[in-house]
Amino acid sequence: MATAVLLEDTNLRSKAGGLYRHQNLLTAIITGGVAMFVGWLIAHYTLQNNANWGSDMVVTVTMASWVVGFMAGIGAFNAVFRWMMGHDQDHHDELYAAGVSQGWRRYFKFCTDHKVVGTQYLILVMSLFAVGGTLAMIIRTQLMSPNNHLISPQTYNAVISIHGMIMIIATIIMVSGPWANFILPIQLGAKDMAFPRLNALSLWLVVAAVPPILISLFIGGVDSGWTTYAPLSVQSPPGQDAFAITIITFVVSVTVAGINTITTAMTMRAKGMTMGRLPIFVWGSMVAAGLGLYAMPAFLAAQSMLLTDRVVGTSFFAPAQGGAGWLYENIFWIMGHPEVYVILIPGVAAAMDVASTFSRKPLFGYKIAVGAFFGLGALSLMVWAHHMFTTGWAPNLAGPWMLTTELISIPTGLFFLVIIGTLWRGSIWTRLPMYWVYLFLWNFIIGGVTGIYLSDVPADQYFHGNMFVTAHFHYTLLGGGMIGATAALCYWFPKMTGKMLNERIGKLAFWVIAIFFQVTYFGMFWEGFQGMPRRIAAYAPQFHTANMIATMGAYGLFLGWVILLYAIVHSWMNGKVAPSNPWQAKSLEWHISSPPPLQNFLVDPIVTSDPYTFGEGNPAAPSKNPTPATVGSHDGGAH
Amino acid sequence: MSSNHEDIKREQIAEAGNGRAHGEPFHRRPAFKILILVVLFSAIGIWAAGFFTDKIMPSILSTQMKSAHDTIILFTVLAAPVAALVYAIAAYSVYKWGHGHGDEPPPDGPPMRENSLATGLWLGVSAILVVVLLVWGMTALSSENQGQLRPVTVDVYGQQWLWTFKYPGTGVESNQLVVPAGRQIRFVVTSYDVTHGFWPNSLGVQIDANPGFKTYITADPNKTGPFAVRCSQLCGLYHAYMDATGKVVTAAQFSSWLVSQGASSTSANAYALGGN
Repeated sequence: MATAVLLEDTNLRSKAGGLYRHQNLLTAIITGGVAMFVGWLIAHYTLQNNANWGSDMVVTVTMASWVVGFMAGIGAFNAVFRWMMGHDQDHHDELYAAGVSQGWRRYFKFCTDHKVVGTQYLILVMSLFAVGGTLAMIIRTQLMSPNNHLISPQTYNAVISIHGMIMIIATIIMVSGPWANFILPIQLGAKDMAFPRLNALSLWLVVAAVPPILISLFIGGVDSGWTTYAPLSVQSPPGQDAFAITIITFVVSVTVAGINTITTAMTMRAKGMTMGRLPIFVWGSMVAAGLGLYAMPAFLAAQSMLLTDRVVGTSFFAPAQGGAGWLYENIFWIMGHPEVYVILIPGVAAAMDVASTFSRKPLFGYKIAVGAFFGLGALSLMVWAHHMFTTGWAPNLAGPWMLTTELISIPTGLFFLVIIGTLWRGSIWTRLPMYWVYLFLWNFIIGGVTGIYLSDVPADQYFHGNMFVTAHFHYTLLGGGMIGATAALCYWFPKMTGKMLNERIGKLAFWVIAIFFQVTYFGMFWEGFQGMPRRIAAYAPQFHTANMIATMGAYGLFLGWVILLYAIVHSWMNGKVAPSNPWQAKSLEWHISSPPPLQNFLVDPIVTSDPYTFGEGNPAAPSKNPTPATVGSHDGGAH
Repeated sequence: MSSNHEDIKREQIAEAGNGRAHGEPFHRRPAFKILILVVLFSAIGIWAAGFFTDKIMPSILSTQMKSAHDTIILFTVLAAPVAALVYAIAAYSVYKWGHGHGDEPPPDGPPMRENSLATGLWLGVSAILVVVLLVWGMTALSSENQGQLRPVTVDVYGQQWLWTFKYPGTGVESNQLVVPAGRQIRFVVTSYDVTHGFWPNSLGVQIDANPGFKTYITADPNKTGPFAVRCSQLCGLYHAYMDATGKVVTAAQFSSWLVSQGASSTSANAYALGGN
């Protein structure tokens, strides 16, 4: 737990932090690399010649060694080890771990300050999107002509699989990483997350998880899509083993982060911050974190079982030895369906907060929104088999699965009610964050309506496994979730960086993204209606026009994101200095300086109302914070 | 806060409280303009669904495919007005209540936190829509699954990266899927290696082919014509090339096709009668 400190107390004793002083991303990579090499050496020379355990074992041991080595190198085990040896971290050690007196270097270290972790997450998420987006461009380029030989079918399968998984990883953490870490504790009036060390752990686990999945591209790749359906995945090249290590590591990270988010929201609220006064973003983050705790372990189970099937010859999923592919599919989708709401809900919640601030109106139907999150969360546990309508598994349950799936449209519809109710007769302030809310509405409706067709078995008999599905889930996850996350980014950017985001470039990016998004996925819907299957490297000439549209749209879409990235980098470096509350918003994070100082609040805030008191004639600040804003501290108070 | 702002606010609160009390005629109230937008947007959505199903989707060769078409149209008709309402309010809010993008926020809007009528209507309408969707889907599903007495059975085998169709009792084995119109076809589907997705697209049915056991799906082709058989489940290296051609033919053509593939005419006739 973060010990209470005074900001002035930054003269650390000379060796505070101990081993932490010498650990950073570079040492982590070196340690991970050495561990990887040693792991490979041992596995190669002791196990390679064992007839039962081939290259799969070598890859597994090598990748697992990387993860452990990397985590040791970054310092994840330092404190645990010290406690084990009977030493405690003293006050100065904790301050050092929180990044005090390290300037920009703390962003490359195992830092327990939630704001540093949030910023690290943002950079990580943007890097993952860059990788996933580049892979998407390779896919679209390959599909520019019917029988393109840009990449081989094997590479193509690997690229679509890794594109899918990288994007799923990125979207799962795109809001819960940066914003639930940076903003959520401040919104509660807390000084940090409940478990700062676990917070840093969750971040660095994702960092450790990424290289194996990228390496998998070069050791045969994964040829069964991000879903890695068995039995194909049991026979895949060794890339599949690296993929499994990535997932297992990532699931641990999401679990740790989820526990942290929920505990923080439950126990770290300031005086007067009752559950009914929580900003809606906190509710969304909590529900998503809870869903993640339910869903993600199933992914860990599926990938672990798959890994043992491949490495040590168990037969959970190998039909020839009595295993069942349907078992894999079930476990996978028990994760897979709640997981889409883990991705979506925080983005929706952030969009709701943005809608309220920029309509200058209280959030319409606060309780309805909270109820919708919980309803959606509960229903999402009972819909997984709609992904299996055409497998032949449990055909008699088609009706019940259809019912639960279609019921989901009720809580989802309530999201729209909440947002348009908030817009209704508001004073719409058309700043950049609000643009994304409108785009969110536009896209997410299309994603939702196309989902209704897929929920219906007779229509799904046509659409299943074809490009229509691809277009549909990109409309929901990218068009809905990621656009919501972008609204959050533009909204909280001044708070995080202390700089205003350049709105002229931002709005240019908005229009490019908004228009080319429609072009891209219009092309894919077209392909789907025409009957083009997903995940194919070559296609019949009849699909050419639609693919050409999708590819051109995708290039434009990519360009749009690059422009937005430029706006972010440019503003972060040379942007106008942000005031503490540029949007005149009312939640607690806007009552402290931009960026906030270490430990956020000099004096504990006392909350007297929810943050939605727009137009309610209450001249007093709704969330009374007696702290005079500590302005102008760009370094997070760490100097 | 200036008195001007307060006036605006008071006015907005009054408007928000009850549009009718404001005394404006209906055609000048937001609701009317939004209604026009809703009709417009719905019409576009419904037209798009008609266009895509009619012009873009492969031709309808079976009752199942017809049912997929009808489902898409019906669901669009039901969903388009809801989507259109959201779009209309969003568009109208920018047009009518937009305050530009100045550095200072506009005056606060009216503090409407809840509206039980709107919420109730919204919930009620979505519940009704869900019931309609479900009843429609269940009805379509049960009519699709109605087994006929003497179906024509085709054994479908998937393997990396090839489809094989066997017509039991005739000895015919083909890489082309030929089925007679006017009869129920019962596909018995399995795989020699990994999971494939058997998808004869104009027949509007789809089922996975799994190694080690069989799955079943029935289709009722009612019109002759060609169609494509594709693999809808990623199955490895040459998944993209796992295509086959198919055609629905008349009963007479079907028998003679079987004979041309090496079946004896007695076995072909017996097979075409079905019940196998």
